[in-house]
Amino acid sequence: MRFRLLTLRLALLAAGVAALPASAAAQRIDLSVSPLTINFPIADPDLVPLVSSTAVQITYRIRQNDGPWTMTVLALGDLISGVATVDISNVTWIATPAPPFQNGTLSKTVAQRLAGGSGSINPTATGQVTFRLANSWTYTAGLYTQTIIFTLSTP
Amino acid sequence: MYRPLIIPLLALAMSVPLAAQTVTATLSADLGTIAKLSLSTTTLTFPDADPDLVPQVPASGGPVAITAKARAASGEIVLTVLANGPARSGVNTISADAFTWTASGSGFVAGTLSSTVPQQVASWNGSGIHDGVQSYLFRNSWNYPVGVYSMTLTYTLTAP
Repeated sequence: MRFRLLTLRLALLAAGVAALPASAAAQRIDLSVSPLTINFPIADPDLVPLVSSTAVQITYRIRQNDGPWTMTVLALGDLISGVATVDISNVTWIATPAPPFQNGTLSKTVAQRLAGGSGSINPTATGQVTFRLANSWTYTAGLYTQTIIFTLSTP
Repeated sequence: MYRPLIIPLLALAMSVPLAAQTVTATLSADLGTIAKLSLSTTTLTFPDADPDLVPQVPASGGPVAITAKARAASGEIVLTVLANGPARSGVNTISADAFTWTASGSGFVAGTLSSTVPQQVASWNGSGIHDGVQSYLFRNSWNYPVGVYSMTLTYTLTAP
């Protein structure tokens, strides 16, 4: 009888642990990006070979973390306007402060490291990211869009 | 009785998988239509010449090098030229169609000036940078009243 009771308790606790990742992540990691729409204005490729977006502010906090943490960014594809595309590798970024932030080039296949470090970041810290698009006369004219995903993670 | 059961439970609690948070944003790039035209010279001069010996007088400055840059959505990019009227010297005039040109470069075509209808100098499909050369000739004649004639040409690069 006592053994049966213990088994039941264990099952309940195990269920609680299995549900832990989502709630633990919410408690330990905070990430926000502003603005959520990052615009590149029209520009003469001769005068502005690299078109800069407005600065994007990254706000993040990591609590109860003893190990490394990583912030990455991944594009879900190339820039798209109807049937026309611009390879996403034409979008680079510069980020500050460095470290923990670093410059890079967008990829649609591999999440690219945007920042990284170890331990907790508490209180909230911020970084600035400016995306830059290699301008060209050869692009088909249009309004191009693509989704990018910022991910802040700890092991 | 309890102790053996607590140990596997702790081991399970330690193996929490990755904690991660994601934010989705949108990149929006305005790569709108844009066109840019440059000419190697803005003045063409045709020297005086004997109509018998030089029935077609080339411009003394040589050909006009043209660079047309255009980012277009679709369709044809067109470069035209239009004279603002006949060449004038006081009250005397010489019709714009006395001036012709030959051309070289991808998309460029030969033509004759007009003061009423823009004449096509070149056309291309798709965005890009296009270079060409336009060599003007003036049709000489004994019939023209003596004078120094001038007129203005307007080049227009259109990208859809």
